[in-house]
Amino acid sequence: MTRRGTARVEGFALLAALLLLGALALRRPELAILAAPFALVLAAGTTFTRTPRVGAALEPSASRALEGDDVDVELTLRSDTSVGRLEVFLETPEGVEVAEDDRMFALSLDAGEERAVPLAFRCARWGVFDVGNVALRATDLFRFVTWEQRLSEPRTLKAYPRLEPVRRVVSARETQVYAGNEVARHPGDGIEYADLRDFVPGDRVRSINWRASARRQGLVVNERHPERNTDVVILVDSFVDLVGGERSTLDDTVRAAATLASRYLERRDRVGLVGYGGILRWLRPGMGVGQRYRLVETLLETGVEPTFTWRDANLIPARILAPKALVVALTPLVDPRFVAMLEDLRARRFDVVVVELDPSHLLPARPGRKAELAHRLWLLERDVVRMRLEGAGIAVGRWSDETSLDEALEEVTTFRRYARRALV
Amino acid sequence: MRIGVAAVVLLVVVLALGAHRAVPIPFVAVAGIYGAQLAVDDAPLDVAAPAFAAGLVVAVELAYWSLDARDRVRGMPGDDLRRIAYVAALGVGALVVSAVLLALADAIRARGLSVDVVGALAAACALVAVVLFARGRGPTSL
Repeated sequence: MTRRGTARVEGFALLAALLLLGALALRRPELAILAAPFALVLAAGTTFTRTPRVGAALEPSASRALEGDDVDVELTLRSDTSVGRLEVFLETPEGVEVAEDDRMFALSLDAGEERAVPLAFRCARWGVFDVGNVALRATDLFRFVTWEQRLSEPRTLKAYPRLEPVRRVVSARETQVYAGNEVARHPGDGIEYADLRDFVPGDRVRSINWRASARRQGLVVNERHPERNTDVVILVDSFVDLVGGERSTLDDTVRAAATLASRYLERRDRVGLVGYGGILRWLRPGMGVGQRYRLVETLLETGVEPTFTWRDANLIPARILAPKALVVALTPLVDPRFVAMLEDLRARRFDVVVVELDPSHLLPARPGRKAELAHRLWLLERDVVRMRLEGAGIAVGRWSDETSLDEALEEVTTFRRYARRALV
Repeated sequence: MRIGVAAVVLLVVVLALGAHRAVPIPFVAVAGIYGAQLAVDDAPLDVAAPAFAAGLVVAVELAYWSLDARDRVRGMPGDDLRRIAYVAALGVGALVVSAVLLALADAIRARGLSVDVVGALAAACALVAVVLFARGRGPTSL
């Protein structure tokens, strides 16, 4: 522990010294009498103090929590010596909140005592946090000397992003070979009725449509659409993070990615992830609960790493972008590299949709005519980018301050529905 | 009188600003006025000196308490009562020590060389205390 003298020790020493000097200068013993208590207390306070031996350990009740959840934490303090006043300072990282009363508190410990203090941390934001940092300050009886110690035992707390309410996700145009919840376009064994066709040897008797067969004077069988799964690749734009107030585009991006991943995995789809920014991160498409945890844990590492190098879709491994996969891009549409990559993917005939995390409400126009003009030009440029993407057949749904993620997905679905009709 | 009022104002300013290091200044000023007045009047040994000393110690303690209370550290239950007891004990202790010293000074007829001897001894004690503290200062590990 690091021993430090407090301002009191200097104050008492100064008072004693000046009063004694005054006594000598003025030749008055009364000033020496005034100085005596200060000198005695100072001598006692600095001499009869023992270095405390204190230890602390912080143990969260869970290593994983949801964003916004409270996590019970137990702080265990032990001391080999008696400590009259032990001040505890919890050094929580940004994103983890603790009640103001619990952040700094004082207690006393007897020699050999071990005490457990229950606390509650609140995960205000998603992320991976080290919550094991505690600063201790022990004070002697006279408050002349303090002993300070910083204890850092790594205790990782992972806060998973909060899921947004979404009723329906965007369906891929093409399905894959595994069973799932999506009705395939091609006929096969399934539940959904597709069409009628003439009976051919090998068809099952139960698939014969007897009424239609009676009308046509020949055996006719029902064709059905099989239920298949789809491949979905979630593309996260981590080039920029626009922050306004308590919201940021990257936070919303990660929440949207976690929400979409969870919803698609519930439908037995294979979901992969590509974090496209200063650092390229990817996760191969997979299914099941394990994949969900892998996806979320990968998302937790998402951060903005500044880079000036030009990147394109060639950097993404081919096995990540599976053929016929639906690519759901989550982006504020600010960095031209990401927009160019989306166009590149579309040119390679990938099924691309964009959920735009509209940052215009985070960056309002500054006062002044020129600033307002610049803001309007910026908004116009964004409209141009949107129109360019839609012209290339990429549906764009806007998730802004006024709309929800669900509405943005519905916008995408609607665009794709009309775009199909236009193609026919 | 004016210097006394100025010292009180200075103390209020020091407490309002939270300047821990400036706390002794107003008290030194008050004690200086007290000593100067005794010297100018060439008064005999002041029997009120122990009470003045106890009051000074209590006032200094209360000033530091006021500054400590600015910390937002949640204290233990009964902290205030313990501190009141500590300040009271300090005041009583200061009163007793000062009374003993006053009696001692009176006994040796607090004039001439005796004042210098008492002052020098007290200064030496203060110096030793500071040296002892300085020796114990510095990082130590568990």
